[in-house]
Amino acid sequence: MTPELVGIVGILVLLAALAGGVPIGIALALVGMSGIAVLIGPEPAVIKAGVVAFETISKYELGVLPLFLLMAHICFAAGASRDFFSAAAAFLGHRRGGLALASIGGCAGFGAISGSSLATVATVTSVALPEMRRAGYDPGLATGALAAGGTLGSLVPPSGALIVFGIIAEQSIGKLFAAAIIPGVTQAIFYMATIAILCAINPALGPATIRMPWRERWPALRRIADILLLILFVIGGLMIGWFTPTEAASVGVAGALLLWMFRGGITRVAFADALRATLRTTGMIYVVIIGAILFATFISVSEITEHLAKLVTDAHATPTIAILVMALVLLLLGSFLDGLALMLLTTPIFLPIAEQLGMSPVWFGIFLVRTMEIGFVHPPLGLNVYVIQAMARDIPLGTIFRGIVPFLIADFIHLGLIIAFPIIVLWLPKVIA
Amino acid sequence: RPADQSNSPDDAPITLTYASPYPPTHPFSRADISWMKAVEAQSHGRIRIKPFWGGALLSSDQSMVEIRHGVADIGLITPIYTRGGVHLLRAQSGFYGGVRTIGDQVAIYDCLAQRFPQFDRELAGLHVLAVQGGNFPGVLTRTRAVRSLVDFKGLRLRAQTDANDVLRQLGANPVNMPMGEVYSALAKGIIDGVVAPADTIKSLHFSEVAKHFTPIRFSRGAYPARAMSDRAWRRLPPDLQRLMAASRRVWEAALNTELLKAEDAGTEFGRQNGMAFTPFPAADQAHFDALYTADAKTQAGRLASLGIDGTSVLAEAQRIIAAAGTSDPIRCAASKGPKP
Amino acid sequence: MTDPHATVFDDADIGPDAAPPAQVPSSRAQRIVFWIGSVGLLSAAAIDGIAVLGRHIGFTFLGSIELVQVAVVLIASSAMIGATIVGAHAAVHIVTERLSPRGVRVAQRVADALSALTFLLFAIGSVWVASDLWNGHERTDLLLLPLRWFRLLWIGATLIIMVLFARAAIKRTAA
Ligand code: NA
Ligand code: NA
Repeated sequence: MTPELVGIVGILVLLAALAGGVPIGIALALVGMSGIAVLIGPEPAVIKAGVVAFETISKYELGVLPLFLLMAHICFAAGASRDFFSAAAAFLGHRRGGLALASIGGCAGFGAISGSSLATVATVTSVALPEMRRAGYDPGLATGALAAGGTLGSLVPPSGALIVFGIIAEQSIGKLFAAAIIPGVTQAIFYMATIAILCAINPALGPATIRMPWRERWPALRRIADILLLILFVIGGLMIGWFTPTEAASVGVAGALLLWMFRGGITRVAFADALRATLRTTGMIYVVIIGAILFATFISVSEITEHLAKLVTDAHATPTIAILVMALVLLLLGSFLDGLALMLLTTPIFLPIAEQLGMSPVWFGIFLVRTMEIGFVHPPLGLNVYVIQAMARDIPLGTIFRGIVPFLIADFIHLGLIIAFPIIVLWLPKVIA
Repeated sequence: RPADQSNSPDDAPITLTYASPYPPTHPFSRADISWMKAVEAQSHGRIRIKPFWGGALLSSDQSMVEIRHGVADIGLITPIYTRGGVHLLRAQSGFYGGVRTIGDQVAIYDCLAQRFPQFDRELAGLHVLAVQGGNFPGVLTRTRAVRSLVDFKGLRLRAQTDANDVLRQLGANPVNMPMGEVYSALAKGIIDGVVAPADTIKSLHFSEVAKHFTPIRFSRGAYPARAMSDRAWRRLPPDLQRLMAASRRVWEAALNTELLKAEDAGTEFGRQNGMAFTPFPAADQAHFDALYTADAKTQAGRLASLGIDGTSVLAEAQRIIAAAGTSDPIRCAASKGPKP
Repeated sequence: MTDPHATVFDDADIGPDAAPPAQVPSSRAQRIVFWIGSVGLLSAAAIDGIAVLGRHIGFTFLGSIELVQVAVVLIASSAMIGATIVGAHAAVHIVTERLSPRGVRVAQRVADALSALTFLLFAIGSVWVASDLWNGHERTDLLLLPLRWFRLLWIGATLIIMVLFARAAIKRTAA
């Protein structure tokens, strides 16, 4: 068997294992080790596993991930996601589709605390979905907006995916965060426009609720003032240079604790819950990262990457065509691979090609995360969709996926703009530097 | 020239994997590629080398362990960054105070490795295929040029760990921080400067965030940088083993050339982008070297706690440097290649 | 004011409901794991926080990165055990959820057995690397923290996770 064939068999076995319900990180690790064992030898395979595992769990730069998670869990316990949604709902609820618009606002706000798409969609859904259903929103619109909005969590800084990209690609995480801001904000605007258009065409999708008087709007806004201040401090401090990105997470944890103390409601139980939830997610992520690195090692030994790279370079009439081919491959892989795994898998393959074509690695990181986010919502395996479905069992998967279609169209237009106008990504980091 | 066996039909080429954490465009990798081409040509196609770049196969911290166990046949190793099992290899790279050229660094390493068995002990299971010297790091600073040792006072500098003590003695404030964060830390003034060789001006775009470079020679020694596993070595017939051993000089020469080229390119890039290059007074450099050598003594002494006689190694290195004339390249009495 | 929705993070993290592979083990063991992880999390935050503070009021916390690194070993090791205890490992259920109850059990058992095997291989590899480095005095640069104890801790974690998965695979068989 040629190495490429072993690689293809490995990918097929991986898909079968995933379909059989084997945890993602485990499937990646086991197929990765087996592949290395076949192509190089059993001893190198287990040695590689031993080296990769300890290197991953003792990496300073990866330590920010659990810390940003802890910050998000503390903010969540302090009521941040509910308050974000309430504030947005107070201002937008009386418009058609206003609660859906507010969900996007809530996702963008909470996304600025959370580093993950899944955490964002889950927290905002828990608050916003019951409200929208009570107001008679179409389940497709409601869940579609939430699933799409949740993806803002992985682009709006802090972003777990960008941290991981920065580590693999050896790019400044601060620069990547700065580069993500404008794409994140415009993405939210695109979603809002989508909702406005849908509700203009069919007002029954998102009936208006009662207009809140200003005297009730101000308190809602005041309730999120402290969180906005924290976000401004963490992201701003990072941009100005008070602390490095890796330190920002620790500063964020301290700030979030202060905020919680200030708001009241810290109990030992609640604090332990936040710690426990953080550890649970952290454990899951570390297994996926170790697995993904082992699988990526196997894939590069199989030389499939070179064939893939050749495919992309051969298709190069222009860099744009190459980028489109890469986007296509990413979307294809993204329909069955977890986002983080996808990023770990494709960065070492695609980044050199992108650099060869004269693209900025920072731009490429944003492109990668933006494309990967689409994988979180597109059928058949958008993880965000399954999260929502787990929280609203009575809404069929089909309804949610149908509800997502308009947002997917918005996603593709937005992605197209990022490809056509790299300045959207590169302007802010330049201004700050 | 090895016996001509290349035409025998049952003589299938031996494929050896080579792995490096650097991309193929890096100066190190360009030297690696010249070596590969030379080996493939000299073996008349009996050796084929399959490279894996960008850390796809070997880790950067544990590559010695990985090569020993066959993850790759040949690989780039960095004992100077490895935190266990290679304490002498690591520490001795700071013993070369006063050395002048990269070629001399490599020659001194050979003398030391031949004389002290601890070198072989730390390299057990490996065949060294290239010893690498390094460009001398200087100081890149954001806004304020370093014109003399006094200017170090109060500077917050990112530096490799082994320079920390000397920098502190000069009143500087050494910071350890991942290299990937240095650019933005310089841009925002989190640090005032970084101790790094001139090639980083171009390769890491430091000219965008630092305006001054002072070529202070932070003494750098040589260390074994490319190695092949014993098990891969044993797969080679004797004539190819000889060829491989002889290729060491090709690799070292290519590395030397690429390192100098990268340094020139960095300096040139800095000049074009408006960086100021400040010469460092010879008296200050001498004082600095003295501090450095005194510090090396402390470091060498500390190895005793690990059962390693570092002091003798340092004394020998300094003896060789002192004995060498100012113009002749250093030659060891009986220079030894890789273990047969 | 504990948010009633606090548990949604579980759902978020595991994606579609993954069944815990293990019955709740002795709660004391669980508490120890939780404490180690929490100490890691809070000390990592505190160390980096103090390093930032120090820089702004004029002292340098040399070695802070090394301390965070070893704290991360505590975090990651205990987090992986914790995630295994509650069944938080992300998995895809689109196919298995269409199976019969018996089919689901079989699939889950196979997944548990493969997970146990994976962590056994992690353990073997980690022991092998650690034994190579055991007498090599592997330690951090500035504070000279001996890394072998942290390697040992990680090996312990892989073995615990392996046992958890193996026990789950056997229990499901019995059920
Ligand atoms: Na985020
Ligand atoms: Na996906």
